[in-house]
Amino acid sequence: MSFDRYEARRIAAELQGPVDDANELAERLGLEPYPVNYWIVDYDEMNELIAYDGFQRRYPHWRWGMKYDKQQKQGRYGGGKAFEIVNNDNPSHAFLQESNDLADQKAVITHVEAHADFFANNEWFGMFADDLDAAAMLERHARNISEYMQDPDIDRAEVERWIDNLLSLEDNIDQHQVFDPRGTLGDDIEGDTDDKLSEQLDELDVSDEVREEVFSDEWLERQNEDEDGVSFPDVPEKDVLAFLRKHGKQYDGEAEKAAEMEPWQRDVLDMLRAEAYYFAAQKMTKVMNEGWAAYWESMMMGEEAFATADEFISYADHQARVLGSPGLNPYKLGKELWEYIENTTNRREVVEKLLRVDGITWRNFTDTVDFERVLSALEPPEALDRLSSDTLDEVAELPDEFVDREALENARDGEIDVDRYPWKVLTYEGLARRHYSLVKPQYRGFLASVGQSDLERIGRYMFDDAVYDDVEAALDDIDFNRGWDRMREIRESHNDVTFLDEFLTQEFVDENEYFTYEYSQAAGQNRVASTEYEDVKKKLLLQFTNFGKPTIGVYDGNYNNRNELLLGHHYNGVMLDIQQAKRTLERVFELWGRPVNLMTIVKEVDEHDIEVAKRRDKEPDPEERGKLIRYDGEEHTIEDLSWEEVEDIAASDVDYDTKPDEWLA
Amino acid sequence: MGLKDDLERFYEVGEQRREDLSDFIQYGDLGQSLPNEVRVPIKIVDLPEFQYDQRDQGGVGQGDADVGDPVGEPQPQPGDGDEEGDPGDESGEHEYYEMDPEKFAEELDEELGLELDPKGKSVIEEKEGPFKDLTKSGPDSTLDFERMFKKGLKRKLAMDFDEEFLTEVLKADGVSPDRAFEWARGESIPVSKAWLTETYSDIPENERGEWESIEQVEENVERETVQQQIRREGIGHVPFRREDERYRHPEIIEEKEKNVVVVNIRDVSGSMREKKRELVERTFTPLDWYLQGKYDNAEFVYIAHDAEAWEVERDEFFGIRSGGGTKISSAYELADELLQEFPWSDWNRYVFAAGDSENSSNDTEEGVIPLMEQIPANLHAYVETQPSGNAINATHAEEVERHFGEDSDDVAVTYVTGPEDVTDAIYDILSTEDES
Repeated sequence: MSFDRYEARRIAAELQGPVDDANELAERLGLEPYPVNYWIVDYDEMNELIAYDGFQRRYPHWRWGMKYDKQQKQGRYGGGKAFEIVNNDNPSHAFLQESNDLADQKAVITHVEAHADFFANNEWFGMFADDLDAAAMLERHARNISEYMQDPDIDRAEVERWIDNLLSLEDNIDQHQVFDPRGTLGDDIEGDTDDKLSEQLDELDVSDEVREEVFSDEWLERQNEDEDGVSFPDVPEKDVLAFLRKHGKQYDGEAEKAAEMEPWQRDVLDMLRAEAYYFAAQKMTKVMNEGWAAYWESMMMGEEAFATADEFISYADHQARVLGSPGLNPYKLGKELWEYIENTTNRREVVEKLLRVDGITWRNFTDTVDFERVLSALEPPEALDRLSSDTLDEVAELPDEFVDREALENARDGEIDVDRYPWKVLTYEGLARRHYSLVKPQYRGFLASVGQSDLERIGRYMFDDAVYDDVEAALDDIDFNRGWDRMREIRESHNDVTFLDEFLTQEFVDENEYFTYEYSQAAGQNRVASTEYEDVKKKLLLQFTNFGKPTIGVYDGNYNNRNELLLGHHYNGVMLDIQQAKRTLERVFELWGRPVNLMTIVKEVDEHDIEVAKRRDKEPDPEERGKLIRYDGEEHTIEDLSWEEVEDIAASDVDYDTKPDEWLA
Repeated sequence: MGLKDDLERFYEVGEQRREDLSDFIQYGDLGQSLPNEVRVPIKIVDLPEFQYDQRDQGGVGQGDADVGDPVGEPQPQPGDGDEEGDPGDESGEHEYYEMDPEKFAEELDEELGLELDPKGKSVIEEKEGPFKDLTKSGPDSTLDFERMFKKGLKRKLAMDFDEEFLTEVLKADGVSPDRAFEWARGESIPVSKAWLTETYSDIPENERGEWESIEQVEENVERETVQQQIRREGIGHVPFRREDERYRHPEIIEEKEKNVVVVNIRDVSGSMREKKRELVERTFTPLDWYLQGKYDNAEFVYIAHDAEAWEVERDEFFGIRSGGGTKISSAYELADELLQEFPWSDWNRYVFAAGDSENSSNDTEEGVIPLMEQIPANLHAYVETQPSGNAINATHAEEVERHFGEDSDDVAVTYVTGPEDVTDAIYDILSTEDES
């Protein structure tokens, strides 16, 4: 652990209280965060940490310098205030900037607690390693790569170039698989590298289950087949870095031919690939994770008044700045979706209970139920809502499940300041009741707006539909925890893709005014294309699936029987940026050592069609064509492929196009 | 190793990969620069990766919108930018290599082979130079003792004489102090009559007339020069005199500041359409940066004109469009007036005008040219921006050129028909002056 640099300033005394309180509050709200170590850093140190993705040491590379430079300038010109850095580690480490005022610090702390809960409980974060020590891993990489750079036998610029090459492919991994640092075993490199590898593995502490999984006999066999086969791999390999690790060579410019990678080159490749897997989890859960943190921050800061009244204005300002950023903001989308999930879950609970009232069916639901009456019955008890030091007697009469009796005694003895911290005398159930979403002013219409199809779906297969004699009896049975319980379940198992896929509905899209846009060839600009939730979902999924990048796989490591590499772009209807693809191929060439090829499908529209389309206020129909882009170390060539040759890479069942038929008319 | 190192590497990498200056001037995005910071986009600092074609990808936005509504700039999408996802971070599109105008001017000199040497004009301060000047009075600590000693020494050298020899001369037969003094005068020996009289009276009676004549003394007594005497006896007493005292005192140096005022004149009349307008911006902006970088103090005046002229702020200058005709002399009249604030004795002046060469009849001949001659400036330039070649009645540039001649050293006329001409135009303009 290399945090000693900050030892002297580890958490200022005035923040110890808020930190302990925030953690206690988070736990009362049902969260289970990793322990968090907070560190106070100054402005420069904060910028450094941001440049290094939240860590203190990274391997030497110019792009950290670039980020640092940018960060400093943002601070200088735009007042880009760094609010929060927390890294995914157990314990988590969070950094507070010393110049922030207390309200901001509190906001950061509550936000961080929620992130730490997400890190600890989301299973995508568990995929990297069972026992995480990310800071140590990154530090080790920093040390090793620095050593290579200082090694007199190795040209420093050479190492830098190698890193650049690898970074171009950092998203070309198989992030849905458990990280397998030994995706490389069975090849023919020297023993000492193997030893070094297994040393690294031990340090990473991968579980035995994973080892079993990785070294299954089938897997080993498949590796052998690969060696003998004329064409390999059998199925396209999505982990391009692993494939290059195993079969790639470096290009020796002087000899003008491929040469085996140097041990340091393989080692650097392994390290960068490991880092790519480590950071993948964060990239895959950005909407959820940021939304989760924003939701709980707002719950703690706003609704539980974690900030005092005079701090609150400053907090509200901070919140507005974070959520009010222009464009599609993952914080905002995520927070809105979590709130929507909370509301729909609570609504479903109420609807299910009401549908079990004798005489209420999904057909007559909206006409029969008096929503105002229901809502007032759902209001939290007065004693819960207006808890203060003057109402402790009323609190004492609340049901046991809501009240922490021991804490209440302490409050009566004056040990707990109930006016400041009303939540300290409440249990999880008590807090859930106190913050029940459906009766909040902004959501009071939510229950009544339940759609007929939702009612039908819930009611149609409900068998014991006359459990309650009247509405009151049904409402007595309501589980007020259900919203929060459900949210925690979802944060365990989902990633952004499944999250958006499952919870985005028309109701949500209408409520929050999302739309898709597409580029109009005829108009020469982007136009709003659709406000249908299916379309919005499609576009969002496109942006979040596979890090928002096209899927590229290795299709053949012995293309045309000439040891050339054939990559394939799994075409989903959206074409590649061809210029970038060409430049990326130049990088791949350096890692393969021999000519590299990429097959893809492009859309072509000819000028004439655009003209015709313009006159008719229509969009031209692009034509899809197969292309093979080849780079041989000196020049690029592009040739046409027949449709039969690219049929395999074209996905027929997906369509990300959201353009309406009658668009510009 | 560490972040400092990374930052340095970034600057190095950025420098290598920044857009070539000529390319930048001709085709780059000039609008990102700040008044004191030229921002040149860096190519390829973002490492290439397999990405979707941005247009084909489309996206999601938020707001009250109807299908078919135009959407402005593509909204920043999640997943763009860095992993930290700091809110409000819209960059990540481009990185810029930043240089100050000095550096820009230096690089442009190198790239275009320019040698503009800015002249210092107004005196901004009188600086104390080294203590070289001398006065006859001053504090003791500044007394130039070395000088006084030398003077004293010189005086000693001038005043001293060979006393022994002169004593012998006085012993010659028939030589009175008067006679000896006469002789010494003839020999340029700096001896006083008083000394001679005194010495003569000291000579005992029996020694008088020891020598037959002065000639005999000269033959028999060895004369010693003052130098020889000093070498033998040491300096002894040096006669200091009050009049030799000099006090050192600092020299006054006039610092001349390199001041420049640049007048940018632009035709904003109806005929100046988008493309012409853009070419003016492409030509003027780097000129401004360049001169700003070359001079200590640069002031800019922006004049827009159609049939009339008015002064505008830089922000508006390139954007303005108006209707109406064109009378270029109106702008020069205003320039003449505004330049009163920047006297020619103190300021270097550049007057740059641009337009499509259209002017009202006879105005060039009768209005503009006399004014150009009347306004003293290092350089007058006219930049014709005519993307489609020449229009028939657009003859302003030609007329100016014909009048002043192509080899004029203070009037430059250039023609820009597209971005590719911009660097040549800039070269033509900036090299006109240094040909002088």
